[in-house]
Amino acid sequence: MLSILLVVPAVGAILAACWPSHTRTIASTIALAVIGWTVFLLTQFDLSNPAMQFAENFTWIDALGLSYRLGVDGLSLPLVALNSLLTWVAIYSSNEQIERPRLYYSLILLLNAAVSGVFLAQDLLLFFIAYELELIPLYLLIAIWGGQKRAYAATKFLIYTALSGALILAAFLGLAWLGGSNSFIYNPALAHALPVSQQLLLLGTLLLGFGIKMPLFPFHTWLPDAHVEASTPISVLLAGVLLKLATYGILRFCVGLFPDAWQIAAPWLSVWAIVSVLYGALMAIAQKDMKKMVAYSSVSHMGYILLAAAASTPLSFSAAMIQMVSHGLISATLFLLVGVVYQKTKTRDINILEGLLNPERGMPVIGSLMVVGVMASAGIPGMVGFVAEFLIFRSSFPIFPVQTLLCMVGTGLTAVYYLLLINKAFFGRLSAPVQNLEAVTWRERYPAMILTIAVVLFGLQPGWITRWSEPTIAATLHQPPAVVASVAK
Amino acid sequence: MDFNNLVTQLNAGTILPEGIVLITLLGILVGDLIFGRSIARNLSYFAVGGLVCSLVALILQWDNPQPVSFIGAYSSDPLSVVFRAIVVLSAAVTILMSISYVEQTGTALAEFVAILLTATLGGMFLSGSTELVMIFVSLETLSISSYLMTGYMKRDPRSNEAALKYLLIGASSSAVFLYGISLLYGLSGGETTLEAIARGIAGASGSLSLGLVVSLVFTIAGIAFKISAVPFHQWTPDVYEGSPTPVVAFLSVGSKAAGFALAIRLLVTAFPQVIEQWHFVFTALAILSMVLGNVVALAQTSMKRMLGYSSIAQAGFVMIGMVIGTETGYASMVFYLFVYLFMNLGAFACVILFTLRTGTDRISDYSGLYQKDPFLTLSLSICLLSLGGIPPLAGFFGKIYIFWAGWKAGAYGLVLLALVTSVVSIYYYLRVVKMMVVKEPNEMSDVVKNYPATNWNLPGMRSLQVATLAGLIATSLAGILSNPLFTIANDSVSNTPMLQASVQRQVAVK
Amino acid sequence: MLQLQYFLILAAALFCIGIYGLVTSRNAVRVLMSIELMLNAVNLNLMSFSNYIDSTEIKGQVFTIFVIAIAAAEAAVGLAIVLSIYRNRDTVDMEQFNLLKW
Repeated sequence: MLSILLVVPAVGAILAACWPSHTRTIASTIALAVIGWTVFLLTQFDLSNPAMQFAENFTWIDALGLSYRLGVDGLSLPLVALNSLLTWVAIYSSNEQIERPRLYYSLILLLNAAVSGVFLAQDLLLFFIAYELELIPLYLLIAIWGGQKRAYAATKFLIYTALSGALILAAFLGLAWLGGSNSFIYNPALAHALPVSQQLLLLGTLLLGFGIKMPLFPFHTWLPDAHVEASTPISVLLAGVLLKLATYGILRFCVGLFPDAWQIAAPWLSVWAIVSVLYGALMAIAQKDMKKMVAYSSVSHMGYILLAAAASTPLSFSAAMIQMVSHGLISATLFLLVGVVYQKTKTRDINILEGLLNPERGMPVIGSLMVVGVMASAGIPGMVGFVAEFLIFRSSFPIFPVQTLLCMVGTGLTAVYYLLLINKAFFGRLSAPVQNLEAVTWRERYPAMILTIAVVLFGLQPGWITRWSEPTIAATLHQPPAVVASVAK
Repeated sequence: MDFNNLVTQLNAGTILPEGIVLITLLGILVGDLIFGRSIARNLSYFAVGGLVCSLVALILQWDNPQPVSFIGAYSSDPLSVVFRAIVVLSAAVTILMSISYVEQTGTALAEFVAILLTATLGGMFLSGSTELVMIFVSLETLSISSYLMTGYMKRDPRSNEAALKYLLIGASSSAVFLYGISLLYGLSGGETTLEAIARGIAGASGSLSLGLVVSLVFTIAGIAFKISAVPFHQWTPDVYEGSPTPVVAFLSVGSKAAGFALAIRLLVTAFPQVIEQWHFVFTALAILSMVLGNVVALAQTSMKRMLGYSSIAQAGFVMIGMVIGTETGYASMVFYLFVYLFMNLGAFACVILFTLRTGTDRISDYSGLYQKDPFLTLSLSICLLSLGGIPPLAGFFGKIYIFWAGWKAGAYGLVLLALVTSVVSIYYYLRVVKMMVVKEPNEMSDVVKNYPATNWNLPGMRSLQVATLAGLIATSLAGILSNPLFTIANDSVSNTPMLQASVQRQVAVK
Repeated sequence: MLQLQYFLILAAALFCIGIYGLVTSRNAVRVLMSIELMLNAVNLNLMSFSNYIDSTEIKGQVFTIFVIAIAAAEAAVGLAIVLSIYRNRDTVDMEQFNLLKW
């Protein structure tokens, strides 16, 4: 069942690379097929079962202890769905006249397969393989179809991510060895038997690895560069899905494998989260480039997830899940819209842009969507961003009151930089340099509209996200109840 | 000693694979003398056929109940079978690659193949020999034919220079090695088979003697030269850059594998008393090789030179398997060498293809190749990424097996260093991929702009295509479907008495 | 009767002279000669060991024969390479061989 999510895009990638024409059609068809299959899985998913579902289990390489184990539970299912959706969005919103379409679309499909593999893998080594597999396609996607300084940005991305991969591998090797296991099967009991000092060491290595990818201050510097240089669909994937690899990894592996050590580390992690939130927000205020601003807002918003993870109550985990999905949708929307603006005006500088909301000569629909997206990102009630942030603060406040208050300041700052953006670029009179804009076609509006609808819909009905993950989260956090309780005291 | 007894003691059937190679070699020499250049290409296909037969004979030797032959001078245990198979395979692929290359340079093909087969013979004997004279003779057979191959382009001053450097450094290192061996002979009280030496030394002096350490150091110097471990690597980049590319392919895989076979056999069997010392020395060599190889490779502009430094670094990874001295350690080493065979030969096949069409091997000249030759770009990218250890290619599984074995044996520092340096290595491998794939059409290098259309029907190109394809397919699939390879690697170690004895000794010490 | 040590010391001294020559010579032929000297030091070593320790089976003396034969082959190949480089470059000075640099 789950292998189809890996095999179809992988085969599609080969097909797209080899078929001489109609590459875009093939890619969209494959992406739609993946979406269809994801929907089917969603309908088949047993909501009351917290364990892994649709599990597949084969021994792959005995000598390495590597097995091909897939499974999906409440933590991974929403993210798998997000991945399928955003891959289609990315393909749909790609330029029809893009150069080297065969390579481009096959890399996107390969990326989709790799990311699904990360979310589905139930074997540590398999997770690592999928995690590294995503590296080269994304590198090439940034390096070939990027902006002016793409070579630099892509290389920076590559080095940071490869380093993060090495750290994760080291942690996994360490866990398997210290736990005395001959295989890499995901097994929470393994770490449980270790002394706390070793757990902390492994957790630290793992956190560092995921922290680079997530990204947290001070390892975030690759992200703004990569976003600015990447083309719009790639930015959508990067912000929407690839950053979630790290947060998913934190929830699944850091918390799931080392609950005791996590409790000890949590206060410091919450501090790290604030630093990241505030730094990202302040940097975003200082940006002139819209895309860079959205990128820094990602740094800031990913910090909330760490805060929620640090609080580690069932509610905060649900909140983290919502925040992951919401950030995936919202940042994807914003990147899409910024992409449209850039395509029409050839600039992203908010000091040059002005009055884009002008109903006749501007881009009113895009502008309105932008306002909605920005409001969602800043946490205005009625949209999914509000639900996510409110729940995060609500659940973290009893545990880390000071840290949560400081993070709320971050939300205020979000409103500040997004108001700056809207005010400068969209309100006011249409300025001279951006006169005579090409009309925005419907094709460019559709993806953003779909995502915006999802943003509003989930804002009104957040239960549609949490219903998948609640049983799993409850089960995850209650696994070693005695230990958690004793440490919490 | 009656005749039958002598025959059983000789047990000459164990060298059947070598015999086949030898007969092929003689056939080529005679055929070349009688028919001349007109059938040179057929002769090289004949050589490939002979090597394949030899490979089959090797497979039949697997699990030979009577591995010891020639009164203890030679052993055909599974370990030697595996290493001989690596040498034979690399020679066969090298011949496939060299046909069009050698013909284009206007030198005699049949002679080249004959020298290559001699080197193969040396490498094969070296993988199994357990006696000092035998080791020395086969080592020199391999080395001298390597010198000849390096200088084969005799009108090219670069090839001359590479050959001279290789010869002088190689000959002096084998003199040093020989000095170490002569001390070994004396210290053991006049024994020449490796096991008798170990016994003799243990009997002569219970504790560690200065002579033994000196002999160990001298021996390691000779071996390290062969596997080009830092700091005995100075010849490697020069020789790689200057000599004909197919020769480099053979040197980097076949000759290196034979060197590793020698290293395992000699050090494990003859130096059990000083096991800690030689482990320490090889740890140092591994660290230096990984760091220096990977770091210096970053700065290279010539493709062959870059691959030279990369092969130094890869040897460093393989050495990890050796210094940890556990069963999985040796198995991971064998596995990695197999994988390395595929990916490195694949990469060299691509480099030869590019050089044949454009006449250059500067990395910057590869820019924009994607537009002109997607097949070559794909093959080279896959092989290089595999060398860099990107999953799910073969190289990744090789590396992870070594890391896993090393970690299990408690060599945390080495494994972490290897992890970091392999991250570094991704950067320089990817630099080439970036050149080929990422560059825009207007950034295309001049040579690529004038890139000739692909014509596989030119004489000799078909075999090069076969070699490239074999490298590509093996590299992409050997990782995913690697269970048989893992089995071979593990069995070769667990069925080899000499390694088992050493592993048990180490366990007992702990 | 002479002791084994004297022979070993003589061999070690010859070996060191060989290494000295290897390092300092600029002429390629002289480098080859130094290598020959090193090999002969080894031969002396083997012969003396064989004579004093292993006088029944004399494996060391057999080994020496092999070493001499191989040294001859090595010298032949070496001189051939030196000859071809002389034809191409008109020199056998080691410091002139700098086409390949690290």
